[in-house]
Amino acid sequence: MIEVERLTKRYGSTLAVDDLSFTVHPGRVTGFLGPNGAGKSTTLRAILGLVHPNGGRTTVLGRPYAELAHPGKQVGAVLEAFDAHPGRSGRNHLRVLATAARLPRSRVDEVLALVELTDAGRRRTKGYSLGMRQRLGLAAALLGDPEVFVLDEPANGLDPQGIRWLRDFLRSLADEGRTILISSHVLAEVAQTVDEVVIIHRGKLIRHAGMTEVEAMAEGATTVRTPESDRLASLLIQAELDVRRLDDGRLAVSGAPERVGEIAAANGVVLHELTTERATLEDIFLQLTATEEEAAA
Amino acid sequence: MSALVGSELLKLRTTRAWIGFVLAVLAVSAIGASATVGTASALDRGSTALSHDVIHSSLLAGFIAFLIGITLVTAEWRHGTITRTLLVTPRRERVLVAKELTGLMVGVVLAVLALVLVLAIAIVWLEIEGSSFGFDGHVAESILRVLLSAALWGALGVGVGAVFQSQTPALVVAILWILVVEPLVIALLGLAHVEGVGDYLPGAALASFEGGSDEGLTPWAAGAVGLCWVVAFGLAGYLRLARRDVT
Repeated sequence: MIEVERLTKRYGSTLAVDDLSFTVHPGRVTGFLGPNGAGKSTTLRAILGLVHPNGGRTTVLGRPYAELAHPGKQVGAVLEAFDAHPGRSGRNHLRVLATAARLPRSRVDEVLALVELTDAGRRRTKGYSLGMRQRLGLAAALLGDPEVFVLDEPANGLDPQGIRWLRDFLRSLADEGRTILISSHVLAEVAQTVDEVVIIHRGKLIRHAGMTEVEAMAEGATTVRTPESDRLASLLIQAELDVRRLDDGRLAVSGAPERVGEIAAANGVVLHELTTERATLEDIFLQLTATEEEAAA
Repeated sequence: MSALVGSELLKLRTTRAWIGFVLAVLAVSAIGASATVGTASALDRGSTALSHDVIHSSLLAGFIAFLIGITLVTAEWRHGTITRTLLVTPRRERVLVAKELTGLMVGVVLAVLALVLVLAIAIVWLEIEGSSFGFDGHVAESILRVLLSAALWGALGVGVGAVFQSQTPALVVAILWILVVEPLVIALLGLAHVEGVGDYLPGAALASFEGGSDEGLTPWAAGAVGLCWVVAFGLAGYLRLARRDVT
């Protein structure tokens, strides 16, 4: 369980996080989404006690991070910046962490094997590829077999197999009842992984919803092309459908294509094109963050 | 706390920087001890005065411990490893105390290595020449003060590193301060006939704790002054560390 209550963080005159509240429940994978610069990393770092908020509070497993009895065994995190010394081997990096967290050394080799870095673990991290760095970060997060995971853009740099592996792995962790918060600036990237999403923009909460609800929002609009667009538009409006004129003269209608076709046929309107356009998750995401922008303007 | 100190020592051992530092201490100590014994007059051989000089040829240990102490903190910021360190140990005062203890230990270890080397050189050399190494209670105290001052140097470095946080400025300012600024300030104070104030500056205090001086503070008083500087920089460093956002 992670709770964020009225979190506010200012950097100079920039308001990075603005009165943000949400709760992340165990047993589910929660996506934390927003465009770059929305305040995701700041929020995650506040949850992890790395950034001091100007207002509000965050708790993990019911306590502020700094007051956890064994943070190394309770919370696993991957943050965006690489955080291993370039001159130290990946294995020694994990040994340093395991020593500080009072974890058995055998755990180091276990997590290295888990992220498939057993051989590379002996090499110094300065030679690691982006994907290897990301996997070393995951290994560090897994070290203490924690209850709660906080992952900032963990898919960055992973190849498709790696992303697939990560997705399945997070799923199995959630099924074991663990709490997982995973950030991304691309909704489609995490859509198959997450059960619910917290969407923020400019430090403010836009939407906290189940993934099914977000997918329902993607149920599409119907577009129609006709030489009599003015007449059809007014007929559709009479039928209490939402109609929007697109730049190329087509009409975007909120109803199902069957309904639009029936109205056109009943009134003898010639149609040149009738299609359903299923909005992508990215469209929904952009739409949600854009409306906020208009409201702010 | 022992786990945290163990982790800090492991950090030191698992990068290569320490090798150069240790070799520098050993090389300079060996050269210093050889030169001291080699140039000593026949009259001095076997005297405790020579023994004191031999012991003091290990003094680079303290300065190197100081530099290592600085990097114990600044390297974490430089390479971003501070993030992981604070994730495992979010109580920042515990992180800093562990580093201070590690700084003390680094100082002791370097001083022991240097002392063993200079004493071995002097004892063997004098023995071969049919003389002996002069030893009494004062010589023993001298050895003890070299050990303790190196420990204080290491801890002082940790505090200085925590105050500066960024590595290059910390090292440049610290080295310039000890080698240039502080001697200059003491000289200017002397010209202005403000005697004694300079004894309380950190470098001078630790130097007279280490080597003793003919005037001014007694070695143990100087050691106490040095300890005060260690505590002052430690507290200032804690305030910096406690407030900083790790982004």
